[in-house]
Formats: sequence, C-alpha cells, structure tokens
Amino acid sequence: MGWGEVNRNGHLPLQVEDLRFRYRTRQEMALRGISFQAERGELILVAGASGCGKTTLMRCINGLIPRSYRGGELAGTIRLFGKDPASLPLAQISQMVGTVLQDPEKQIVGSYVLNEVAFGLENLGLPRQEILERVEWVLDYLGLSHLRDRETFNLSGGEKQKVALAGVLAMQPDILLLDEPLASLDPVSSQEALALIRRLADEGKTVLLIEHRVEDLLKARPDKALFLSEGEQRYFGDMPGFLDIADYREVKLPAPMVLEQARERQEDLPPLPPPAPDDGRPPLVEFDHVSFGYEPEQPVLHDVSLTIRQGDIIALLGPNGAGKTTLVKQAIGLLKPQEGTVRVQGQDTRRMSTAQVARTLGYVFQSPTHMLFAPTVREELAFGPRNLRFDEQTVRANVERAMDILNLRGLEEYPPLALSFGQQKRVTIAAVLAMQSRILAMDEPTAGQDYRNYTNFMNSILALRTEREDLFSAILFITHDLDLAVGYANRVILMAEGRIAADGPPEQVLADRALLQRCRIVPTSLLDLNLKLLPRAGRFHRAEALASLV
Amino acid sequence: MLITWKYRERNTVIQKLDPRGRIIFLLCAMVAIMQFWDLRFIAFFFLLGLTQFVLARLSWRETRRFWLVIGIIATVLSLATALTGRGEAGVYVDTHFLWQPEPFRVLGLTLRPRLSAERVMYLISQLTRIMSFALLAVVIPFTIHPAQYGITFRRLGLPDKLAFAVDLAFRFIPSLGRDFSVTMDAQKARGYELERVGAGLIGQIRNMAPLLIPITIGSVVGGEEVIDAMDLRAFGTGPRTWLKELKYKPADYALIAFSLLILIGALTLNLLDIGELWVPLWLQRMAG
Repeated sequence: MGWGEVNRNGHLPLQVEDLRFRYRTRQEMALRGISFQAERGELILVAGASGCGKTTLMRCINGLIPRSYRGGELAGTIRLFGKDPASLPLAQISQMVGTVLQDPEKQIVGSYVLNEVAFGLENLGLPRQEILERVEWVLDYLGLSHLRDRETFNLSGGEKQKVALAGVLAMQPDILLLDEPLASLDPVSSQEALALIRRLADEGKTVLLIEHRVEDLLKARPDKALFLSEGEQRYFGDMPGFLDIADYREVKLPAPMVLEQARERQEDLPPLPPPAPDDGRPPLVEFDHVSFGYEPEQPVLHDVSLTIRQGDIIALLGPNGAGKTTLVKQAIGLLKPQEGTVRVQGQDTRRMSTAQVARTLGYVFQSPTHMLFAPTVREELAFGPRNLRFDEQTVRANVERAMDILNLRGLEEYPPLALSFGQQKRVTIAAVLAMQSRILAMDEPTAGQDYRNYTNFMNSILALRTEREDLFSAILFITHDLDLAVGYANRVILMAEGRIAADGPPEQVLADRALLQRCRIVPTSLLDLNLKLLPRAGRFHRAEALASLV
Repeated sequence: MLITWKYRERNTVIQKLDPRGRIIFLLCAMVAIMQFWDLRFIAFFFLLGLTQFVLARLSWRETRRFWLVIGIIATVLSLATALTGRGEAGVYVDTHFLWQPEPFRVLGLTLRPRLSAERVMYLISQLTRIMSFALLAVVIPFTIHPAQYGITFRRLGLPDKLAFAVDLAFRFIPSLGRDFSVTMDAQKARGYELERVGAGLIGQIRNMAPLLIPITIGSVVGGEEVIDAMDLRAFGTGPRTWLKELKYKPADYALIAFSLLILIGALTLNLLDIGELWVPLWLQRMAG
C-alpha cells in the first residue's frame, strides 16, 4: 500500500491567478490579486500576520469558498490539476486537496481514532476492506498504530494533530493545506511534525504550510514562500529572497536575522524584565507538598512545593500533559489539593472562594470563547472589577488603562464575540488586567497571536509592571514558546510528569541541555545566541536587545 | 471538540446485545408505558427497567448526577400537575376527596387546592412512569459503544445524514457539560459568583448571562466548525460506507420479539380500555 495513483494529467497541481475575494458581511476585500503556482513535491510556506488573508486563501483552494461561505464576491482563477474547483464536486476536491485546520479539536469528528481516520473514506463510499487497509497503512505511516482504538478526545495535543492529519492523508490528496500545524504542539512534537511534513513533500505531495513562526518552519526546508499582508501578495519566490524582505516584527525570524535587522534600524529597545528580588517578603502564593489527581489512580501533580513572590515573572514550561494548567488552577482555588496545602497571601485556598483568590491571582484562560459574553468590549472589561466590588471610578480607570495596554482603542463599543481570534485574546487579557489582581497568570498568551501583537502586549505589560508596581506584583505565563521564556521571564519553572523538574533564573535552567531534552524542549536560535553572549550580557535578552551587544 | 460519554467495557449480558435490538426495546417499552395509567402495569415496566439497570452493572456513583436531574424534573412536574389539577383531562375525575380546604386568594388569584384519591394515585403513577422512562434510558449511554450510535440508527433505517446527526447529538450533551464547567471556571476566575444575594428573580436570570452566552455562542460556532470539517472530508456527497458492521444473534431476536410482544400487548389492552388510572379501594374508602 502506498500513496496510490497520483493525478498526472500534465497540469500543475495548483495554479492561482489574480484571486480576489470579499466576504458577504465585510466591506473590505479579504484577498486582492493573489497569483502563484505550486509544483508536485513542493513545500510552500504561506506567511503573514493575523488578518493577512491566509485562512481565506486556504478556503478558496479547498472549496469551502464559495460552497460554505456563500454570497461573497469571488474573482480570478484557481486551477487544481487544470480544473476549476467550482465545477468539481466536493467529494472530488477532497481527494485532491486535504486540509488540516489550525486547531485539531475543530477538525476531529470521529469519537475513536479508527473512526476519525476512516471518516472521509466512509463518506466516499469505498469498500470496507479498502477503508481498513488504507487506515491501517496511514496509521502505520505516521507511527500511530498504537492509538487505533483510543478515544480521540483523550489524546494529547500532538497526538490529536497527527490523527487529524491521518484522517486527511487517508483520502490520498495530492495537495495538503496545513494551517498553523504547530500552534498547539510542544517543541518536540513540532520537530516531529516538521520532519513529517518535509517527508510528505519529498514523497510527492504539494504542501502549503501556513505559519507566521518562520524560524521553526525553516527546519522543514520550504522550497518557496508566499508572503501576504492585509490581503495582498507581498512576495512569492524562493526562500532566500523571502528572508531578505521579511520583517521580524511581522513574522518570527531566527534570532541572528532579527539581530541584524534590529541593528540596522536602531530602534528604541523595549524594557527588560527586572530580575526577581530576594527581599524576604512573605510569598503571594505558596505550594506546600501539593498532590492532586482528577481520577484517584491517575495523579497529575506529585508533591509540588514552590512559592510565587513579588517581582517574579515566571514562565511555566513543560510538555503537553505535564500538569501546568492544573498547577495554576490549584493556585486560583478552582481545584483544591488532595494532599498538602496551597496558601494565597498566607490563607489556605480550601477556606477561600475563587472570587476571593481572584483579588490576588487573575487568570486568563487559554480559549477566549469561554470568557467573552458582554455586548461591548468596555463592558466585558468592567465585569471582573465590578465582581470584586471596586467603586465605579476605579472600574472606569482600570478599564481605560487595560484598553491602552492591549491596543484595544477603537474597539471599545464592539461586541467582543464579533472580533478576530487575536483581538478576542487581547480582550481576555485586558479583562483580567482590569481586575488589578496582584498576580497576572496567563495560559498560552501568545497562541493565535501574530508576532507583532504579542511582542507589543508583552512589552506593555512588562513596562507597566516595572513602572507601576502597585498595579500588579508578579506575572506567570504557561507557554510552549521557549523564546517567550528567554526574552520575558526572570524565572523559569520546568514541569514534567506532574513534578517540578527545575525552578530558577532562565540563564541557569535553560542552560542545562539534558534537562531540556528530558522536558521535551528544543533549544531555539535565540537561546543559543543568548547562551553564547551570556558572559558579556550577564543575563538573557530579547533578540532586538542583543543587537547593541554584538 | 465533541467528547463522548464515559463508556467502559463491563462484560455484561446487556453490552453483548446488538445496539439495534436495545434501541427497539427502549422505544417499544416507552410507547407501551404510555398506554397505561394503572400503577400495577407501570410497576411492571419499572421492574423491567430496574432489571436492565442491575444487569448493566451501573453504579449509583456513576449515574447519580443523572438521577439528581431526573429526580428534580420528575418531582416538580408531578407536583405541579397534581397541585394545579392540570394534565388530568380524560385520565380521571376527582370524586373521592381526601382534603378540601376553603378557597383562598393569592396575588388576585382564587386558589381551590383539593386532594382526591384519584389525584394522589395520578401523582404516584406519573412519578413512576417518568422514573421508568429514566431507568430504561439511562443505561443506553453507559453501555452502547460511542462509535456505534451512527451505524445503529443507520441500520434501523435512518438515512446516512440523520444517522450521523444522532451520533453527533449523543456526543453533544457531554460536550455541553464540559463547556459549562470550563466556562464556569473561567468566569469564577474573574470573581463571578453564580448566586447573588438579594438580586431578585430578574437579577438572578441576568446573572446567568456570563455562563449562558459563551456556552451558546460556543455551541453555534462549534457546530459550524464541525460542518466545515465534515464538508472538507466529503460528508453527504453520496452513499456512505459504515466501517462498523452489526450482526444479530439469537438473543437479539429474542429481545426484539419480547419488545414487540409488550408493545402489541400494551396497545391491545389500551384498545380494550384496560390499564386506566387505578385507585385502590382502601384509598377510596379513606376518602369516605
């Protein structure tokens, strides 16, 4: 069993000519004059900031536009092996173009891995024996055979991503559209995914890889790049040409390139996080030998002891399923320890409500859709402070300040639920910031954000923490993005299998290669550069800040 | 993402039966129950449900949430029907009164509460009917493999699209439960408290908005995403193959025959006007 017969009718797999599209409900064009082509076995990187039109382009190619997004204006031409997708039935398109969505949770419809991978083939009405052969083959190809009979919702993020890909590959499409496939993966899973993507291209698939984290993508050795900005095509061509024109503020580039660009620009350096002070003040949060499990036989946290003190900017790192989110839920009192004690400002969380803890620790959940409900951004931001019984004047002042920091000006009267994902994410952070909790805790604050937006708000939050210590005293963020820990934290907590594997300054914790490997963390070019320059710099810096040191 | 009910293999007689036979049994038993108001007949179905529950080896711990919700709904529904006297049309006429106080006025309404032997029996029968439905149905999500709903309903005669919709619907309920709990946590972290002292009825309803709006919008958006994901993999473009195969065994035929028997039996008794509300003589005598 292999990839089956490839469409070879002398045509290119994909040709796009002067493609333009406008959604029915929008005034502005989502795509303006996109033209490119892809050959068999080519891996093309599609890069650009949030809202650049990457997802719309994907929908035009896979046929969702115009089928599922009716009433829009579509012009220009798309050819899949010389055929117009608008004239093809969806069943045929789905065997030519396979799409893996950014969030595998939105893609998986089968309740078990076997059903999920077989789903498309069942829809095509193939004989049962052929379906089984293809499923077994693709599971084996991706090294997933051991997951065959597992429930899909119990898989880890990396496994879900691979299962979603398996479901698409089983249909043997010639073209693959992968929308930010690394977004929910820990670094080691990302490496595996990139190697797999390269292999698929080498075996003859045409792959369009949508991603703004260009640095990571370079490891998959893309053949070409398509660079979009606000619906327009800024570049299509080979990788060296793209790297010449790419801006580190729009896409994430390798540290040495950022350094070079920053040196030429000589911009004002953003403020650096101050090192954590050791002033002997009582801790804000204290974990004392805490153990916890959702099921009695499956402990998630084992004997965790740590303190969060004033001045801490903590990056909580670790692979999927290490217990990071559970740890923060313990700190905010949503979960209570089964053994040991969690104390918030000296008080046992077992005797506090979550609302009481929220005065000390404000927690931004990963998904904005679980938080947003108010008719306007302004009201959304006022919800938390009002719950904490702040007077109206303070509520107003906090809301205005949070809007400034998170770059929400102009959106005050918009319904949060109608905003883009990146904007919604910023609203949720602003909503918690407005509560004036002593600690600001964020779960994957940069997920779904483009590089410019997330560096902007991280810089603003850190600047605020430095200038106004009365507003909040400590920051904690859960992340898979190692560079966020390198550039913005003064303390790193590494978690693995429910235990604290390391806790200390980033310069110390992240220098231990063996430890990083054990915690499934892959060093980045920024970490390497920082380690090289550490004797001279004295501590870690963001790439832009290193420019002055080289 | 849709999640499934907590299913596990229990190695029971019930789980060995074909899911189609079990759905047929459930439907037949439910329609049969609806033919009766006589507590003696309803008790038969109650015992049938109880037997299935015991044979399925379900524990109180894993089903207690379900019983809590059903218990509240059944009690409120039955008490409201009994106290207002509504819902009895054609089922009984109050004749033997146990308690008949003077009418009194509340909020401009004249209330005539009265309790008759018929109404008491109607209350008990209604409660038993609801609990029998619940007993028969609760076993399904815990004992039918989550990957079998689609094929079960397809082989029962539903078209491909509808059969898959049933599969999705079964997963929607636990998914909604999960979304509720995540949203509750997210809002609690913003200082939200579900119960606000002194907020009044309207205030309490308004206070639910931070929970209900994200859950509702999340469900709608989630639904659209599922549709896109299914479209991208050619769902609904033609006749579908179902990977899972179902095969009837002798025990399944026996169950289906039994199901049809109780259905036909119940319908026949109903045609013969047997099984209407039963009021024991001793209760009638008590009313004098």
